[in-house]
Amino acid sequence: MMDILASIFTLQNLLIAVLGVTMGIVFGAIPGMTATMAVAVFLPLTYAYDLQTSLILLLGLYVGGISGGLIPAVLINIPGTPSSITTCFDGYPMTLKGEGERALKIGITASLLGGMFSLVCLWLFTPPLAKLAIQFSAVEKFLVILFALTIIAALSKGQMLMGIWMGLAGVLVALMGTFDDNNKLRLVPHLFRKELIYGFSLLPVLIGLFALGQMLEEAEKGMKKEHIDKGLLAKNARKFSFADFKGQIVNVLRSSALGTFMGILPGVGGSAASLMAYTQTKNFSKHPDELGKGATEGLIASESANNGLTGGALIPLLSMGIPGDSTTAVLVGAFALQGMQIGPLFISNNQDLWYSVLIGLALCNVIMFAVMFFPIKLISRIIYIPKQRMYPIILLMCVVGAYAANYGVMFDVWSLIVFAIVGYLFVKLKLPATPFLIGFILGGDLERYFVDALKGSGGDLTVFFTRGPICWVLWLFILASVAYAVVQERKDKLKKAA
Amino acid sequence: MAEFYAYKYSTSHLFFPKIIITLLVVLGLVIAVPKLLAALKERKNGGKKYRFFVEGYDKLKLFGTVILMILYVLALDLVGFLPASILFVLLFNVLFCGTLEKNSLLVSAVIAVVFPVAVWLIFGKLFNVTLP
Repeated sequence: MMDILASIFTLQNLLIAVLGVTMGIVFGAIPGMTATMAVAVFLPLTYAYDLQTSLILLLGLYVGGISGGLIPAVLINIPGTPSSITTCFDGYPMTLKGEGERALKIGITASLLGGMFSLVCLWLFTPPLAKLAIQFSAVEKFLVILFALTIIAALSKGQMLMGIWMGLAGVLVALMGTFDDNNKLRLVPHLFRKELIYGFSLLPVLIGLFALGQMLEEAEKGMKKEHIDKGLLAKNARKFSFADFKGQIVNVLRSSALGTFMGILPGVGGSAASLMAYTQTKNFSKHPDELGKGATEGLIASESANNGLTGGALIPLLSMGIPGDSTTAVLVGAFALQGMQIGPLFISNNQDLWYSVLIGLALCNVIMFAVMFFPIKLISRIIYIPKQRMYPIILLMCVVGAYAANYGVMFDVWSLIVFAIVGYLFVKLKLPATPFLIGFILGGDLERYFVDALKGSGGDLTVFFTRGPICWVLWLFILASVAYAVVQERKDKLKKAA
Repeated sequence: MAEFYAYKYSTSHLFFPKIIITLLVVLGLVIAVPKLLAALKERKNGGKKYRFFVEGYDKLKLFGTVILMILYVLALDLVGFLPASILFVLLFNVLFCGTLEKNSLLVSAVIAVVFPVAVWLIFGKLFNVTLP
């Protein structure tokens, strides 16, 4: 254990962590840029480092990116990242009352608490889950992925069928290329048979969909500057004190737990997590009318939930290789770059690395607090950084990242551009992109496990139902998520009709 | 029917894709048919027209971005990383700022030189990452 601590707390790693967190905050705080983008853009930098240092950098970007979103949410009523949507509801009214700095500090503290809570969950739940997953045969593995896909669909609000369809579309795109069993090419146009022999690479698809797609969306809106009222930010009517958290412990715990839980579910992002926590806090509140008018309660709920997401999203990734959200999906790319397969054996085969993730995440949370809490006046100037100057640099980094992913393939850069346009079209046509991405990442595994399971049973489909209790429980989960989706869909329809 | 979906080693590469495509088509119909019917009904009632772009969208910036991206990749192949990146970071800056004002151009030029050179030095030279 001491060796691991010594290997983490080197000067290089600490500097990298500060760099990661700070850059994450910058990406998080500029509206139109997200934590996912931050992690994707900095991926190429990880070539230079070993896996431990790379992970610290990427975790820093993740934590910083999710936390930074609260700055513009509080100060200018625009969420810096989607996960800070509910922070606007109470943060901005506080700023209007001249309590901007207090609101920021409450948000930052709540973020730290949420992050730490989720870290404990990560530490407690991942190893047993991985241990369970090790015993999985192809049948259970197939069902787990199926469950992941139905969960995404169940939570794509009002778009259940569309969510499933996009997930399947992602699977289909993942199947392009050569099939390992009989070495035959499928689903590839003849013209691209050389370039697509292994299908599309993960990184260009990921960066294209989530970083450059957003750039096109912003370009369509004209890259306008946000209007910022400077007078409002200077006021400091009521000072922050940790006593503000008195009586909020239950709220912090509930919201962090909800955030962590939503993080565990694959494909569910921070915005769903904070919305859920916010609604629950409103339900439990003694003064529900105050929420939305500058209640610290709502602010705390939103920020502890979206940081609770960070640790939660890592749980399925590190125990089963299934990313919990789009940002952790990028982390799959980081592991792949280092030639490491992530799955149930990750923890038992890489004890050192597992502790590095835990300690690194704790470190990044603490640094996030230190970097944001004390120099908050300075840090909140990030919102003045013009995005029209940032996007060209982001494009540059994306191109470098896509090109370098397979040591210099120009076709990957073309894929990047194609998926940037695809990502933009998804948004325009209101098609959910995250199910597509999760389907794309898991598609290859889904096929392998399905085929393997059938080979094992001699083509008998009943093997998916008869393999024992784990199997039945997974089916129960799948049915429950589908049932939840159907009920929810019907409720929404009734609401619309009313 | 059963023959089409049967698993054989020689065609095993098409086995799973066939299933997925079938699901996509069936589900696609389930989604699309009610939507189409609703859209037809709406049109009969003289409902609102479908709008793809946001109102008053920035044609120049949107299509300019797409075209510049494609040209950038072509340029990478033709003239190499550093010259292509300097030129296109400059062009993107000018496009996104939307002005030819002197001060703005100056800032654009500085960014266009500093960042590609920095990326080239840090990634290409220091870390030995393959650059286009």
